[in-house]
Amino acid sequence: MSLYISAVSAMSRVLGVVAMVLTGAAAVVVCHMVFIRYFLNGSTIWQTEFVTYALVAATFLGSPYVLLHKGHVNVDLLQLRAAPPVRRAMQTVAGLFGIAFCALLAWSGWTYFHEAWAYNWTTDSVWRIPLWIPLLPLPVGIGLLVLQYIAEIMKIYGDAS
Amino acid sequence: MTPMIWGAGVLAVLLALLALGMPIAFALGFVSIAALILADGWGSLGILGETFFGGLASFGLVSIPMFILMGAAVASSPAGKDLYEALDRWLNRVPGGLVLSNLGACSIFAALSGSSPATCAAIGKMGIPEMTKRGYPNEIAAGSIAAGGTLGILIPPSITMIVYGIATETSIGRLFLAGLLPGAMLTALFMAWTIYDCRRRGIGLDMLGRRFSMRERLAILPRVLPFLGIIVGILFVLYGGIATPSEAAGVGAVMCLIFVAVIYRLWKLALYSQLFRDTLKESVMIMMIIGASELFSFALSSLFITQTIAEWIAALDVNRWVLMAIINMFLLFAGFFLPPVAVILMTAPILLPIIIQAGFDPYWFAVVLTINMEIGLITPPVGLNLYVINGIAPNITLGEILRGSLPYVGCMVVGIVLLCLMPEIALWLPDTLMGPGR
Repeated sequence: MSLYISAVSAMSRVLGVVAMVLTGAAAVVVCHMVFIRYFLNGSTIWQTEFVTYALVAATFLGSPYVLLHKGHVNVDLLQLRAAPPVRRAMQTVAGLFGIAFCALLAWSGWTYFHEAWAYNWTTDSVWRIPLWIPLLPLPVGIGLLVLQYIAEIMKIYGDAS
Repeated sequence: MTPMIWGAGVLAVLLALLALGMPIAFALGFVSIAALILADGWGSLGILGETFFGGLASFGLVSIPMFILMGAAVASSPAGKDLYEALDRWLNRVPGGLVLSNLGACSIFAALSGSSPATCAAIGKMGIPEMTKRGYPNEIAAGSIAAGGTLGILIPPSITMIVYGIATETSIGRLFLAGLLPGAMLTALFMAWTIYDCRRRGIGLDMLGRRFSMRERLAILPRVLPFLGIIVGILFVLYGGIATPSEAAGVGAVMCLIFVAVIYRLWKLALYSQLFRDTLKESVMIMMIIGASELFSFALSSLFITQTIAEWIAALDVNRWVLMAIINMFLLFAGFFLPPVAVILMTAPILLPIIIQAGFDPYWFAVVLTINMEIGLITPPVGLNLYVINGIAPNITLGEILRGSLPYVGCMVVGIVLLCLMPEIALWLPDTLMGPGR
């Protein structure tokens, strides 16, 4: 069980670093775009799309890392007041609903990605990159989010015993 | 089932899941998809990924992670300390100078960081010990910083305003301008109350430790002015229509990172990895709520809940100010429990049509809504600022912080009333600079 938790957490950290790099890259590309557009009066082709998709990717890929650090904001008012066994039960039930949603989202994201792949869809801009590239982080990130969520529930009971 | 029953069901399940402690993003997403599956069958699953992805894949949203990055850069540097010192050096001869420099530093730092807890932490770390050292009671020291910190979500550039702009499809540049004067008004109200409170308690406002020479005053400016320049620059390009908020935010973020590295000579890798970690946490949290709220508003409108509520309220035909009072009370209540971004994303699709139908201006409403959210930040049970101050000033009890903050809640209510009496406080600046109209 602890092997599962540490393996999943390690993967979450790796994707977290990827997400941070994407965020930093997005900031730099925005500056590059502004420079070309306003100082050189040139036209920009790929920058807008790159920045938008990089930050969407950062959101999906970073979400397991943020769960690992309990960063997805919640209302913990009642949990904090409940007795430990009740609190564990609340956390488990909340976690199961969370897993249910994330699993549906990951699955739906996977089918969307698969369609884009199978039918060679491209983005509707001048850049026209294959749509599956920006879509891939959705099933990957949210898929790992499900695994991380399972690890979080394991931790609830790991601490108790 | 009628849309009203659907609406009641969705609300009840959502509240139950939130009370259970489920993350807001997943709770919102879960009720939305559950309602869609119940209403239209499993086929609804197909739109889940597409709607969530589509809700996030917009260049307008780029401004959110970028402003968060900018705020994280400023917050991780000693810029807050310098800002505080600069104002102290320049204002120490003015009566009540310390209070003024505290609140002034809060409002400027709030503009830079766009975050209330970060403002409280950065200014409070300096300001609270300094105030207690010079003899101000704990309550005033803690309360004024807690209240000053809330300005972060009102004074532009503000992430809360960006989220409102995205949720309601209103102009972010215009929203920023609408928040500027009300932000200054609240700062002035906070200052006035603090000075009055000190007088009332017989605390002399001339308890000033020392005088500063002109040389000392000038020496600190090079460390402060570049950051002020960034705020002015961002507002200038936005209202001039020169660049989009996302472009301004990205350039602002990189400039802040460069200034932090150059002015403070901070080159440690650990600092930057911490900074990006903080940025990622905050921005993923907000972006996931945005994606989920896209699903939520899709579910609400495809079940006709949004439309039915709007029609129902229109049919009630109540006085528009009664309506506004009820909406304010509702927002205030929601703000007691939920973070500002979540409240805005969840309520905007329902409230905005009602607001416009009743003849209120959406930009004016954004300001009123934001002040409501500010109140939620310094009131229990989840007033974030109270806990931040409790963390940085452990010798002040939570009770003292709370008692100290309450009068400022009063100031904000006065602010809302003034805005209702004179909507021009919010609307004059955008109307004058950007021309009237929506």
